[in-house]
Amino acid sequence: MLWLYLHFPHMLLDHLRRHRQSSRPLAILSGQDPRVAQACPEARALGITAGMRLKTALALAPNLDVIQTQPGQDTQVLEAQARWLYRCAAHIALRPPDGLLAEVASLQRLYGGLPAVWQTVAQALETHQLTASMAIGHTPEAARLLARADQGECTADTARIRHRLTGLPLSQAGFDRTTTERLQRLGLTRLGEVLALPPAELARRLSPDALSHLQKIQGTRPDPVQPWHPPHVFRQEVDFLQDIEQSQGLLFPLQRVLSELEEELRWRQQDTDSLHLSLRHRQGDDSRIHLRTAGPEHRAEAFLNLARLHLERHPLSAPVTGLRVCVRRFLARDASRGQDLFGKHSHPEEAWHTLASRLQARLGASALQRLVPRADHRPERAWAAAEALGEPHQQRPAPVLPGHRPLWLLASPYPLGEVPAAWLSGPERIRSGWWDGQPVQRDYYVVQLADGPLAWVFRDLRNDWFIHGWFG
Amino acid sequence: MPGYAELFCVSNFTFLTGASHPHELAERAAALGYHALAITDACSVAGIPRAWAALKAQPVKLITGSWFQLSDAPAGEARPSFVLLARTRKGYGQLCRLITTGRRRADKGQYQLHGHDLDSHCLDDCLCLWQPPPLAGSDAQQALACGEWLQQRFHHRFWIAASRPLEADEEQRLARIRWLADQLRCPIVATGEVHMHSRERQPLQDVLTALRHRCTLDQASPHLFPNGERYLRPLPVLQRLFPEPWLRETLRIAEACTFEPGALRYEYPADLVPANETPTDHLRRRVREGERRRYPEGTPERVRDQIRKELALIEELKYEHYFLTIHDIVRFARGQGILCQGRGSAANSVVCYCLGITEVNPAKVELLFERFISRDRNEPPDIDVDFEHERREDVIQYIYRRYTRERAALAATVIRYRPRSAIRDVGRALGFDPALVEQLLEAIDWRDQDTDWRQQILDKGLTRNPRIADRFFNLVNTLLGFPRHLSQHVGGFVISAGPLAELVPVENAAMADRTVIQWDKDDLKSLGLMKVDVLALGMLSALRKALALIGEARGTPFTLQDIPPEDPDTYAMLCRGDSIGVFQVESRAQINMLPRLRPTTWYDLVIQVAIVRPGPIQGDMVHPYLRRRHGQEPVAYPNDAIRQVLERTLGVPIFQEQAIKLAMVAAGFSAGEADQLRRAMAAWKAHGDLTPFRDKLIAGMLERGHDPEFAERLYQQICGFGGYGFPESHAASFALLVYASAWIKRHYPAMFYCALLNSQPMGFYSPSQLVQDARRHGVTVRPADVNHSQWQHTLEGPEHHLRLGLRLIRGLPAASAERIHRHRPRRGYRDTRELRRLARLSQRDMECLAGANAMPGFTRNRHQAYWELLDHEVPAALFAEAGETERPEPPCEQLPEPSEGQDILADYHSQGLSLRRHPLALLREQGCLRHCLTAEQLTTAHPGRPVQVAGLVTGRQRPSSAAGVTFVTLEDETGNVNVVVWLATARHQRKPLLTARLLHVQGVVEREGEVVHVMAGKLTDLSHLIETLPVRSRDFH
Repeated sequence: MLWLYLHFPHMLLDHLRRHRQSSRPLAILSGQDPRVAQACPEARALGITAGMRLKTALALAPNLDVIQTQPGQDTQVLEAQARWLYRCAAHIALRPPDGLLAEVASLQRLYGGLPAVWQTVAQALETHQLTASMAIGHTPEAARLLARADQGECTADTARIRHRLTGLPLSQAGFDRTTTERLQRLGLTRLGEVLALPPAELARRLSPDALSHLQKIQGTRPDPVQPWHPPHVFRQEVDFLQDIEQSQGLLFPLQRVLSELEEELRWRQQDTDSLHLSLRHRQGDDSRIHLRTAGPEHRAEAFLNLARLHLERHPLSAPVTGLRVCVRRFLARDASRGQDLFGKHSHPEEAWHTLASRLQARLGASALQRLVPRADHRPERAWAAAEALGEPHQQRPAPVLPGHRPLWLLASPYPLGEVPAAWLSGPERIRSGWWDGQPVQRDYYVVQLADGPLAWVFRDLRNDWFIHGWFG
Repeated sequence: MPGYAELFCVSNFTFLTGASHPHELAERAAALGYHALAITDACSVAGIPRAWAALKAQPVKLITGSWFQLSDAPAGEARPSFVLLARTRKGYGQLCRLITTGRRRADKGQYQLHGHDLDSHCLDDCLCLWQPPPLAGSDAQQALACGEWLQQRFHHRFWIAASRPLEADEEQRLARIRWLADQLRCPIVATGEVHMHSRERQPLQDVLTALRHRCTLDQASPHLFPNGERYLRPLPVLQRLFPEPWLRETLRIAEACTFEPGALRYEYPADLVPANETPTDHLRRRVREGERRRYPEGTPERVRDQIRKELALIEELKYEHYFLTIHDIVRFARGQGILCQGRGSAANSVVCYCLGITEVNPAKVELLFERFISRDRNEPPDIDVDFEHERREDVIQYIYRRYTRERAALAATVIRYRPRSAIRDVGRALGFDPALVEQLLEAIDWRDQDTDWRQQILDKGLTRNPRIADRFFNLVNTLLGFPRHLSQHVGGFVISAGPLAELVPVENAAMADRTVIQWDKDDLKSLGLMKVDVLALGMLSALRKALALIGEARGTPFTLQDIPPEDPDTYAMLCRGDSIGVFQVESRAQINMLPRLRPTTWYDLVIQVAIVRPGPIQGDMVHPYLRRRHGQEPVAYPNDAIRQVLERTLGVPIFQEQAIKLAMVAAGFSAGEADQLRRAMAAWKAHGDLTPFRDKLIAGMLERGHDPEFAERLYQQICGFGGYGFPESHAASFALLVYASAWIKRHYPAMFYCALLNSQPMGFYSPSQLVQDARRHGVTVRPADVNHSQWQHTLEGPEHHLRLGLRLIRGLPAASAERIHRHRPRRGYRDTRELRRLARLSQRDMECLAGANAMPGFTRNRHQAYWELLDHEVPAALFAEAGETERPEPPCEQLPEPSEGQDILADYHSQGLSLRRHPLALLREQGCLRHCLTAEQLTTAHPGRPVQVAGLVTGRQRPSSAAGVTFVTLEDETGNVNVVVWLATARHQRKPLLTARLLHVQGVVEREGEVVHVMAGKLTDLSHLIETLPVRSRDFH
């Protein structure tokens, strides 16, 4: 067996940097008391290293860009890499948080020799703008250690590999901290010195884990590898370093993702007709966009055109901090188009769903919406239109604030042109919303107008009177 | 309009709820012409003293109350919410009791009260205003049940509180209140449910609400008030909103409440005075006993006069118990052999000297005599007592034992919003990205007064809305200084005659078994209550240990009093700047000052302690003083009054007391005004607060015929003390310890370093630095060894060699070290197995010893020792007991011998120091530091000459008094090098400056007298040479 290991020293960073133009130093933070998890080369040149406190890092580089990692983000990014590696090698495995393992002995014949395999993977790394150190070893553990130490070579020669391995400093030999400390206290500095000690004597002095680690490196103990297969979903995320405010700005990152989708579809020999695009905002819910093609499709260009059309028609509601493309529906290249959607569905929820989809398809997705309450003292913001096909169970319903509210709230208030016949209740004073730039300062009253209807009127700061709604 | 009394008003001491300071509420109530104002914080009276101080001079009456929400629903489903007001002193005590119960039951910062508490506490002198449950929460019957239950407990002292916040469904709510009043046959009273003094505070109140619910403002709407109507309304508005009888009722209640916080009087514990004696007589007797001890040849007439004067003043102000209480605590400590010393204005009296509270002989410092308790200021005397830091807990436990927890508790410290926390919290409420906020915080130069915050906020992309940026700035500024929570004071005890919980509520502190009262030291002061400060001081521990070692060596006990006064050799040592380890004067700045000031008397030390402080440095007092001291500048005084104040410091104000006194004699401030000035100077907001005093000071001085230039200079000097000034009364006591520790260092260096090392952690220097200094002073230091060391460091043989203790070995528990010492055979341990068996050591213990190379007697080196230990096959105990036939394990030949470098690294790793060569010596020998001068060579280098130096970075300091300059201390095998890095240099070389552990510096030598600096040019990080050398750097930013 021969193993190829890919170690991504700053995978998240590569992932984020692909989508940005600025060349300012960048660091990724993690933890509650933020510390640097990864730093880009520019940042490292300024002395910023992993594990450093944010405070120190900023003292070194005041104009440092920083991003906080989201939990689980690294796994997602690693899986994205696994997806393309899977196209090169059939037997691969994930080594979270930042490594991939591929069995390459069986590939040599397919590609025509080890250098060709190496070359292919290196090429793919370049295409994906990823930094990785590669190494080959006769055991997964040996390959991993060499890759992490950046000591990899395109060779299957046992002696050479062993030479590299024995030269590894103890700190890079993959032992846990206690074992490393113990071995260092014995005056040992390299992995080779450990391997040179009398094995039986050594075995009596190491923890079972450390011993097993040594044996796995040498291949004297089995190290089963759990193979990884890509899930039947396509999901790609992009995080932006700076908020994007114009929909134009979304097209560049979107194109990259859609190209990857095209690549994936080609490889799968499948098409799709349905894309879910989510735009993430700093606050509030994501904007969800459902793109449907006229028929099965796999070309990035087609998807991009569709997205462009949509984005042109619907301006962004808020600056976007990231986007996600998700495809769950895969169609065989020769699948027949269209099915009778009403045919066999008996479940009312499903039937409603189908109806709504149809209406949306006819009228456009934004033409069909439903009302949901929002907790806000400002009447015009106390409700919101939600996607008709959103998943209502997933969002907790907002509490309804107390107060007598008209069923018909006017889209915009209009001036009150008469003196009301009767004042029924009030004032209810609302003074709120200063924090989002849309403050409201009004005194509301329920009144009866001369010709009978019950109106909800208010007086604003300038003492002007308006009608804001009608009671039944 | 009948007038109005606001009876329901929370201040910002209802944390994260109230949006105004108590004094703001009080001042607004006065401006609006309210008849009375009740401060009713949630289960707290913490805001009362501040409101009271603000209302002292106003016609508005202050009512003490508190707002409660029970944790259970004793009747129906609604949980009662109500305000209790104290009617008289008795009612106030009842209120405090209830608050104490609620607070003591819950975690720090919370409270928990149940229905049954209202039955088990006597509350017959409190009035109850019930806040009916909200409409949405319960129906009419539920509300009625709740009201009935509460009414039964407060029969004719029960009102329904009606408020008009102008919210939705207000008509229905008022109708409900009327119906309830009708059913319960009780009066309705108008209240404002006030949360802020002015509507302008609504945004801040919203922010606080969001923070309380740990969410952003966007998410906080369900918890926010819909408007800002919970403020102190003008009378005409109130008249429009409330029926007249409801308003009239407020006055009736206010009339009934006669308690006033000013009526609280400290009731001293009478325990200390025998029944047949008056406190004055008892104190007099104690003083006379002391006199006989202090003046065995008879008290000089002058001193006797002074004692008479002091005792008369104490009697007049009724402070006898205070002095007796401190005397009692000090006497306890003495009895236990705990070193202690008092300081503070009142401590420097002959009475305190006779009582043994202080060792400063006032006869020696005539000038301290007059600054005793001030009769004009109605302020309690202030005495801080320092105890050995390792045994202060004994003293605290004694106080609890003697006065019981019912009667003794620690004063609180109010933790307030500082710029960082305010920016963080406001940013969080506004939903700013936390990482960006952190970045903003890091980027702000706190000393740069001209920072354009608004621009910073926009630049950092926290928001794109300039109006929000302005808001942010406003909110942060308003939030600054708001209380966040109560914490425990470092050692201020309040002791009372009766139960303390009837004087002030007591609540839990974060530390187990500690309780704090709800007031801090300023509150106590403004109410005229006293506290006793029981503080911890590491140097006292070290001194006691050193005295004991000297006593052992001399064969007779040796005490502080046995140290000969004014020893020239000791002063000569200090004048050389040789003061590492000496109390107070061991910092780099102090070491540099010593050769310039050249102290030769005890009073010089008093000045030395006080002069290296931001106050004198920023007020530019240092250079004039030094010039005058060395006769390079004439000393002149504008008039005799000023001469009196400044003569002892050659016309330059150095002590805080002098700044105050100057304001009085030069600018005609009254005692009260001078006291305000002092408070302003001590206030935490260090900048800008003195401006209101400027005009007054300058005008006052011009009026008294001083020229404008003098007036301006004096004003600047007084401003300097706004930053930080040191009081003479404290410096005087500290100087005694400076002298004592310096004398021991000079004459008994081995004992000195041994005691210091045994009192770690304390002081400025690490054990490694202390050991190096000890060796430079001719002390032989021997390594830690299982066959010679104890837990503590010890002195060996007639030469007093310092044997390092096992306490240096990281990770080795004290108990294991004790066993090693106790079970050691006469001939010593002979192998690892015997050691492990006899001292019952764990594997971890053994590994620690091997790592420290503490078994040189029977292991070849630390690698082999470790190899031997790691073997899991421990021989059967039975055979081991037999002992003699044990077969020594053959050494492992494949293991490398440790190199010198490895040994040094391992020493540092295991003990934080090495007795082998200094790493720098090794590097120099290997040629890694060519062209670098050593610290020793540097002392003879010519000023202005370009040099290169290198050393381990042991300290980085950016003192606030030196604009932008960073001081770096480098350590090499011969001593320390002082490097000065200017701001511009630092900016360009942040990386080496901030991260290097081994730093190489190219620079220029500067010399001032004996003080040598290197002005840094290029900095180079050489840490890779000692990559794994763990030398601790103490960074001060």
